Amino acid sequence: MADLLFYLMAALATVAGVGVVVARSPVISVVSLLASFGALAVIYLLAGYQFLAAIQILVYGGAVMVLFLFTVMLLNLGDPDVTSGQTEPLFHGSRRSLIGLCTATVMGAAGLVAVLRVAWNEMPSVLAIPEGGLDPLDQLAAQMFTRYSLPFEAASVLLLATAVGVLVIAKRNRPGEKAFPSRAVAAEAAPTAPAAPQPASKPLPEPGPEPEEVLS
Amino acid sequence: MTDLILLLIKASVIYGGLLGCAALMTLAERKVSAWMQYRIGPNRVGPFGLLQPLADGVKFIFKEDVTPDGANPWMFRLAPLMAAVPAMMTVAVVPFAGDVTLFGYDFGPLSIADLDIGILFVLAIGGLGVYGVILGGWASNSKYSLLGGLRASAQMISYELSLILIVLSIVAMTGSLDLREIVAAQTGTFLGVLPDWNVFQQPVAFVLFVIATFAETNRLPFDFAECEPELVGGFHTEYSSMKFALFFLGEYCAMIVMACLTTVLFLGGAEVPYWADAPWFLQLPAFMVKAGFFCFLFIWVRWTLPRFRFDQLMHLGWKVFLPVALVNLFLTGLLISF
Amino acid sequence: MVIVQRKSLSLAERLYLPEVLRGLSITFKKIFQPAITRQYPEEPLPTTEVTRGQPRLVVKDDGNIACVSCGLCEAACPAYAITIDGQETDRFIEREPERFDIDMLRCILCGFCEEACPKDAIFMSNELELADYSRSGLVYDMEKLKRPASALKGRMDYIKRINDRWQTSSST
Repeated sequence: MADLLFYLMAALATVAGVGVVVARSPVISVVSLLASFGALAVIYLLAGYQFLAAIQILVYGGAVMVLFLFTVMLLNLGDPDVTSGQTEPLFHGSRRSLIGLCTATVMGAAGLVAVLRVAWNEMPSVLAIPEGGLDPLDQLAAQMFTRYSLPFEAASVLLLATAVGVLVIAKRNRPGEKAFPSRAVAAEAAPTAPAAPQPASKPLPEPGPEPEEVLS
Repeated sequence: MTDLILLLIKASVIYGGLLGCAALMTLAERKVSAWMQYRIGPNRVGPFGLLQPLADGVKFIFKEDVTPDGANPWMFRLAPLMAAVPAMMTVAVVPFAGDVTLFGYDFGPLSIADLDIGILFVLAIGGLGVYGVILGGWASNSKYSLLGGLRASAQMISYELSLILIVLSIVAMTGSLDLREIVAAQTGTFLGVLPDWNVFQQPVAFVLFVIATFAETNRLPFDFAECEPELVGGFHTEYSSMKFALFFLGEYCAMIVMACLTTVLFLGGAEVPYWADAPWFLQLPAFMVKAGFFCFLFIWVRWTLPRFRFDQLMHLGWKVFLPVALVNLFLTGLLISF
Repeated sequence: MVIVQRKSLSLAERLYLPEVLRGLSITFKKIFQPAITRQYPEEPLPTTEVTRGQPRLVVKDDGNIACVSCGLCEAACPAYAITIDGQETDRFIEREPERFDIDMLRCILCGFCEEACPKDAIFMSNELELADYSRSGLVYDMEKLKRPASALKGRMDYIKRINDRWQTSSST
């Protein structure tokens, strides 16, 4: 029963993971990732890690993915697939794809090695660890803040770097616009934008607060 | 095998009760609002209109199920489920009463699952309910729905943070995440007279928690996901028939679960005041009275207060609730360590 | 221009919670006030003789219909709701309606028929409810329109009083 559930969840996690990559709509990607997290949480539960499962759902499912969805919806990436039915090919030979492919290969290989080592019993399987009861919360905390404190901090630095990187990537530069325009720059740039037809002699009003002013 | 049957019996009793209560809540909502406005409320179907929820259900089933043009069909179908299921799942760990003995047979404590991490489970699964709202809003292909969904996500994230911090101060006092132990820690008396409930020990946390539950369940002073005057119906503008009913069910189940949670965390759960060893058939009514009060509070507040503005809501969440909850947690930690 | 002077809020008002509790107490008190709802089908609306409901035909105390099928109401009806076919009778008045239909879907309850009638045969009753499952069922024939004079007594007296007053004031 537990084995069956494990394989079911593992399959679901894998399928959902593939779904994250191949889904054409970013929202579908996020939902697939959510399903993958859910399946992982069930696997944690099967392994006896109730706390980890709950945290997985609470942090990743409840908080991080909601933020992802929020961001994806606000970014307005423009769904290419909904209207035209065309998509960018997954691999189109650019350097970006090559790097991605290399990373995926390395990570896949690492995963394969891990699985094989477990299969040959060189490394204890995750499912075999929790002999000492179902509430290793204090042990987890002790381990995390003593022995693994350096990786823990490193992970947080990595997250910070990711956040900054996302900001840089997400801010798409349009022509004639600085990467992070201040208010004054935006005000200068405004008259070049196609506005409502007006007599050229009339000075353009400040961009802004009252639409009535622009129209009058 | 008997364990499994026992579990099935308990699960069906508790879920039957939950759905029945959710149906009754829809009636109570209309009845109480009517009384507050000098009206009578539904009274045609059955005695005192008690069968009104049934009639509503039948009506929902026979309504036309419309999927708007351009909606994402899978997400559109998934969203109501994602709104209703998490709300119903969380009730599994709520301890409604102590050991139940019926017909000379010991059924064990009246809760479906006794998890060590009960409170975390409630918060984790309950937090997933927001997906139903966001995805429903997104999948509808409607600007009102999308705005409602976005607001809901921003609001729920903001208030979940404060909610967890408040719960943390209770957990720190009890030293356990198990709801059963949190209840057990509240027996006895406080200052000699009052019951040893957390509401007297943590009054600030209690007030914050109750207000945060309103935001978390999208109830009226904070119901920005629906917000009829501006967004038509918010995230469920495009929904009809049973899909809409599922959203409704999810909302009312979430309210009931939050009422139960407030009872467990702050009012000593199923404890009868001054009588720690009360039999289960007295504990269960005690629990229902306490939780029922909070259910009533949800309705009461809805028909009293006007809606906030969204920036006021965010201001309240981040600039008032979060600092106060943090300070409260800090003081609790200080008190515990000395 | 009006300059609104806003008084600054006290601490209790800015905390918001005391005001919330005040509001809650008000709504809670209102729960126990008696409802002012009228349970309509069981408690019908009060009507007076001034109520201008649907037109009805008067059946005199001797059992005969008061109408002589002169057709004045048919002519006065702005909605063309009334259809009359007359026939001869052995009675002293010589004529009576063979058919008297009012299409209640067309009737606008204006009361012109009542005003036009020279024989006090048609009056606006206090009957207001109008419902049926078909359109044809709402074309009322003579049998449906007949009411004994006693049922319309109040309205008849009222109309008589109004008419008398009108005639006296205009003649002088």
